[in-house]
Amino acid sequence: MENNHHLPDDHTGISPVPGAKDDAEPKLDSEAEEIKNEESQAQESDPHFDLEKASEDIDKFLSSLTSDDVSVEVPEFVEKYLDLVEQKVSGEGRPKWCQVPDEDSAFLESLDRVSKLTKSLRELKPEEEKSESRGSLINRVGGIQQRAMSYLEEEFRFLLEESKTAESESESAEPEAFPGYSDDVVSGLSKIAKQMISGGYESECCQIYIMSRRNAFEESIQRLGFEKYSIDEVQRMSWESLEREIATWIKAFKQCATVYFPGEKTLADRVFSAEFPSISASLFSNLTRGILIQLLNFVEGIAMTKRSAEKLFKFLDIYETLRDTVPAMDGLFQDECENELKTETNTARSRLGEAAIFIFCDLENSIKADTAKTPVPGGAVHPLTRYTMNYLKYACEYKETLEQVFNEHSKIEQIDPTNRPPFEEGSFMNSMDSENENQTPFAVQLMTVMDLLDTNLEGKAKLYKDVALSNIFMMNNGHYILQKIKGSAEIYSVMGDTWCRKRSSDLRQYHKNYQRETWNKLLGCLNHEGLNPVHGKVAKPLLKERFKSFNQMFDEIHRTQSSWVVSGEQLQSELRVSISALVIPAYRSFLGRFSQFLDAGRQTEKYIKFQPEDLENYIDELFDGNPMSTARRKP
Amino acid sequence: MPATDNQGSFLNRISIRRNQVVSMDGNHEQELEDLELFQKHVADRFADLLSQSEDTLGDGLLSISWLRKLLDVFLCCEAEYKAILLLGRDPSQISKPPLDKLVPEFHDRVVKALDVCNAVSHAVETVRNYQKLAEIAVTALEQRPIGDGQVRRAKKALNSLMILLEEKEGSNHKSTERAWSFGRRSTNATTSSSKDRATSASQFRSLSWSMSRGWSAAKQIQAMSSNLVAPRGGESSSPALPVYIMSTITVFVMWALVAAIPCQERNGLLTHFPVSKQLGWAQSIIALQEKIAEEWKKKKEKNRLAGLLEETQRIEKLGVSLIEFADSFQFPPDADRLEEVAVQVAELGETCKKMEEGLLPLQQQIREVFHRVVRSRTEVLDLLDQGGKATASIM
Repeated sequence: MENNHHLPDDHTGISPVPGAKDDAEPKLDSEAEEIKNEESQAQESDPHFDLEKASEDIDKFLSSLTSDDVSVEVPEFVEKYLDLVEQKVSGEGRPKWCQVPDEDSAFLESLDRVSKLTKSLRELKPEEEKSESRGSLINRVGGIQQRAMSYLEEEFRFLLEESKTAESESESAEPEAFPGYSDDVVSGLSKIAKQMISGGYESECCQIYIMSRRNAFEESIQRLGFEKYSIDEVQRMSWESLEREIATWIKAFKQCATVYFPGEKTLADRVFSAEFPSISASLFSNLTRGILIQLLNFVEGIAMTKRSAEKLFKFLDIYETLRDTVPAMDGLFQDECENELKTETNTARSRLGEAAIFIFCDLENSIKADTAKTPVPGGAVHPLTRYTMNYLKYACEYKETLEQVFNEHSKIEQIDPTNRPPFEEGSFMNSMDSENENQTPFAVQLMTVMDLLDTNLEGKAKLYKDVALSNIFMMNNGHYILQKIKGSAEIYSVMGDTWCRKRSSDLRQYHKNYQRETWNKLLGCLNHEGLNPVHGKVAKPLLKERFKSFNQMFDEIHRTQSSWVVSGEQLQSELRVSISALVIPAYRSFLGRFSQFLDAGRQTEKYIKFQPEDLENYIDELFDGNPMSTARRKP
Repeated sequence: MPATDNQGSFLNRISIRRNQVVSMDGNHEQELEDLELFQKHVADRFADLLSQSEDTLGDGLLSISWLRKLLDVFLCCEAEYKAILLLGRDPSQISKPPLDKLVPEFHDRVVKALDVCNAVSHAVETVRNYQKLAEIAVTALEQRPIGDGQVRRAKKALNSLMILLEEKEGSNHKSTERAWSFGRRSTNATTSSSKDRATSASQFRSLSWSMSRGWSAAKQIQAMSSNLVAPRGGESSSPALPVYIMSTITVFVMWALVAAIPCQERNGLLTHFPVSKQLGWAQSIIALQEKIAEEWKKKKEKNRLAGLLEETQRIEKLGVSLIEFADSFQFPPDADRLEEVAVQVAELGETCKKMEEGLLPLQQQIREVFHRVVRSRTEVLDLLDQGGKATASIM
């Protein structure tokens, strides 16, 4: 920009500081060149003296101006000052910013003066005949300012992009290292920003800032392992990969909310805020809004994936992260932006919540859909029971979250309560309506599931032809359910004491039914009826018959029921003990009373196959789920 | 953000109308009537858009205000579509032919549309960047007396802008990167290492947020339109038709957004997708499609695809002229020339103002479309599920 250079004539007659002229040693012939040379020599030998003096003059001149002073003569030393300052603020040959702080300050001070001069000169109205020279003065000073600003732009960008304290690639990097500028750099940035903005170069400054920080932020978030996926891609990813991505997402989101955003906010505040709080706020909002929306898009994508039971817990993990982390961002944003971002995070959370409810309620469908017609061998705990109870137990580890989810997001019921009747008619829960009234929607849903499971199990119990086995099945499953519930304080608190007591009494009933079905019949064989001794004699054939059918029936029971299953040692031994307690005393007494009537030897051997101790041993073999035991032991 | 503003009223409408329908015997007749009305509304709305597209005062085809209206139209049509699809319909009908195939296909398009919304929303940042550069030029050239410094400042900003706007088919990446490094080199070439970094940076990073690696707007639009077939014969009335109409609208709206806003990877963007010419409601859509395609081709020839948005075209045109001015500038300036320039600067300033006022609402409206579309998809799926549940509990 040659035309920008002042002509030597411009300042002939203006004497630089006299001392400078004296020190100069002219080497060239041309007068013009000489002057130029003198000037640069002067700057090299003692620039501060000259500049200091000239600067003072400028400052005095600037402060002498008031807004009313529209037509003031511009003193000649202004041109002189520009001669001195032009090279200085061009940035050429300067050290990198922040390396020599004194020079930085001197640069900014000079530029500040130039900027003020530019502004003031524009506002001054020149007298008619001087307008042309005033114009060229303004042109010159504006040119100097623009070069200086251009230089500052680059330094600002350089500081932002290249002067971060090495952010370690490893995960152990101190989180405080974000955004990773030293205090010197931040203060350098702040000074440059201040100068650019007050000099009217706000747009350039903000553009550089936002672009640099956006890039840096994207790099930081990538370093956390967060990869971008389009919603379309998320729909097509396998659940295993998504699970991994969710884990990364949670980490990234927490890191953003608790470290990156506050760090970014602090940086913006420190660079701009002291004097330009609104610039700082808008840059920060613009930057974080973009990141946050991207992070939330992933959640939207996840919430849209095909819903299935195994996803519930990951959904809830994300839900909890959003719920617990978002408050950390309170106060970071300006009102308007904060509202928008709150709405966005709440929307994403609602989507997840709705999906979670859907998945949880879908358990009903899985239970209803389990209509297999093959009974589980031995009346053991049905896989459906195991699955459902383990799922519920796991779900109840998220109980508080699920309750919140059900409270806040189960809008389907609100819109149309007839869509999904909360209770199946005929289930025993109806008898507990009074208790339901103050139950949470989640608890109600949990009860519904338990009821459905019950109903389903009752259906399955009917698949057994043997009523005793049917009762064992109910007992096994009921016991399993009760154990699971007692083993988890969370479910227990939802189901409540009453429910559990009712359950226990059901179990006792199954137990009784079973005993009646199996053992009362057997005890019938030990009936004394018709065996009352008359004159010391009993009806021997009848006695033989009784023994024989007892033996047969017991054998048969032993054979079948050894293959039955009672899971849980406690239940097993309780059952055996109660059977022994029922059968053995009766048998012992029958034996004690009637064995004498059989002839010792062959007859006794034939009809008294069991000693009471034998019975006890055999009873102990019941419910082992082992059909072979009878065969082996059979006499 | 008013993302869910219309939800309440929509649901009310659904339940009111559901009751009406339930109380009527002529369910099918009602459905035909609704469908008739839907087609008429679609035709009217797009006819409106077509007539606004003729506006020569800056709010015409592909201007921010036109795009906002387009999104309004989308939202209206979408609400009506949902009502037609869901209300009074036995959910099990959706799981039977032809809807069992059409609705999932539509949902697949919707998912892609969501990504397009996000990409376009990111790219609005790029447009905002154009605006900021133009604003710098305006600020600089508004100064009086105008001098070398201000002209240099304006020129630097405009040169960066011009290079950003140069988008060729197939060379997207390069030009953007060049613009970025140009911004650096145009001043003191002090930062050699930062240039290396820019090279490693992915395509749009410096100007806006990026989508996932390899994501292409052009491919998404292609995929969205690939199985767009008008229902025939017996299917040409309800319920296949509303799905087809809404699919067409979705593809068209997303396509127009992608054309207007320079989002990630537009290489090979379709300039045409088939819409049956016999369909009354589609006439304006076809006309608009032709107009936009024409613009696209024109810009493609000039390798200036980045700026199909009306406002961008305008700042580009003014920018070119102002760069000429800057190139020939000598102090002191010629007064007549300065007057000419002042007019252009004022127009550029006006355009920037329009962008300043319009881009954020546009971005928010895109977000609203996003949320609406997600919500509708979920509602349909929920309904399907409830249908499933109802059947299951009957069994």
